[in-house]
Amino acid sequence: MNIETSEFHWGMVIDLDRCTGCGACVTACQAENNIPISEQDGIANGRNLHWIRIERYWEGEFPHVRARFLPMLCQHCDDAPCEPVCPVYASYHNPEGLNGQVYNRCVGTRYCANNCPYAVRVFNFFNPKWPKPLEQQLSPDVTVRSRGVMEKCSFCIQRIRRGKEQASLENRKLLDGEVMPACAQTCPPQAIIFGDLNDPDSRVSKLARSPRRFRLFEDLGTEPSVIYLKGGGHDHPG
Amino acid sequence: MNRLIFRLVLFGALILLIGGMGLLYHLPLDTLNPSPQQPIPFSHQLHAGNYQIDCRYCHRHVERSTAAGVPDVALCRSCHEHIATESPTIKQLAKYWQTGETIPWIRIHQLPDHVYFPHMMHIRAKVACSYCHGEVSTMTQVQRVASLNMGWCLNCHRENQAGIDCWTCHI
Repeated sequence: MNIETSEFHWGMVIDLDRCTGCGACVTACQAENNIPISEQDGIANGRNLHWIRIERYWEGEFPHVRARFLPMLCQHCDDAPCEPVCPVYASYHNPEGLNGQVYNRCVGTRYCANNCPYAVRVFNFFNPKWPKPLEQQLSPDVTVRSRGVMEKCSFCIQRIRRGKEQASLENRKLLDGEVMPACAQTCPPQAIIFGDLNDPDSRVSKLARSPRRFRLFEDLGTEPSVIYLKGGGHDHPG
Repeated sequence: MNRLIFRLVLFGALILLIGGMGLLYHLPLDTLNPSPQQPIPFSHQLHAGNYQIDCRYCHRHVERSTAAGVPDVALCRSCHEHIATESPTIKQLAKYWQTGETIPWIRIHQLPDHVYFPHMMHIRAKVACSYCHGEVSTMTQVQRVASLNMGWCLNCHRENQAGIDCWTCHI
């Protein structure tokens, strides 16, 4: 079999010491990726749609209590549990190290979401509806998913593609930091950094080599492409 | 006797089933009219054929954008303010200009919503317009020539070593 290879391996670094839990990334993602707005009873049934969410943890005992936040999105695992369970190959591995979701292939078995240890895949239980005039702000580059289709974070593949196209039209290589998903672009404290992990000099690669690094559920062996940074500041001596 | 009738009925049902499946197989999936009547009988043969106007003069964004761009009424008018002003079709065009309406052209090359097709990348890869759109310069009424289905796209992508990753086109 001819395996497609690519010069890129997209990755993300999230600095948890910078994250303030403001939720700007969640809003930006919603706007960028045509994510439907969930109705109240849908949310009550656990059918809310989001490609990125903020997990909140309490640290310490009252009155010395502190909130910690962890933005959770598709980890784009190199050894992804969601991929082998899809009977129709709608969930597949992209040569650039991304977990692809092909909406027109998806038949809605939801096996992938059930097998995802990070619970980042969401299912369209309803046809999307936008209250007027919000349907005017839909991005033409992103498919509007219909009922019965699984969806998840794509690392803003439309932006990656547009960046690569622009670079190739200008006959140059893609620069580090040129492509940015909506969440990274909007993050006020710049806690989210996106880039090419294959390039050892990219900002994301340098940060990924930090001693503060960890990955979620590393013991599962899913090899996530999202690397979190934590500790080392004045809160964490040694 | 009963047994014979039963067998005949079973045989008939089987024939019908196979025949139906065969019919379904042969029915065209594509039921759209490949050459609909446009609101203004614009002739590509006249403009692109006889007068040799470059495709890019009217479809201006094709080298820079995903969409090739349908010219606006102002662009049509920039020539037809002076050329063939007495022709009934140009009077029809002038009416659109005066009322400030857009011409309701009927789209012939329509891809599904889940397909991302960038024109500029195909122009950059030196794919001729006629490869997908046919010899438009010989058509008085434009007709869709290519099937535009996925297998057809993939054949060309494979031959030219373009990306065949799903996310190349489905995003």
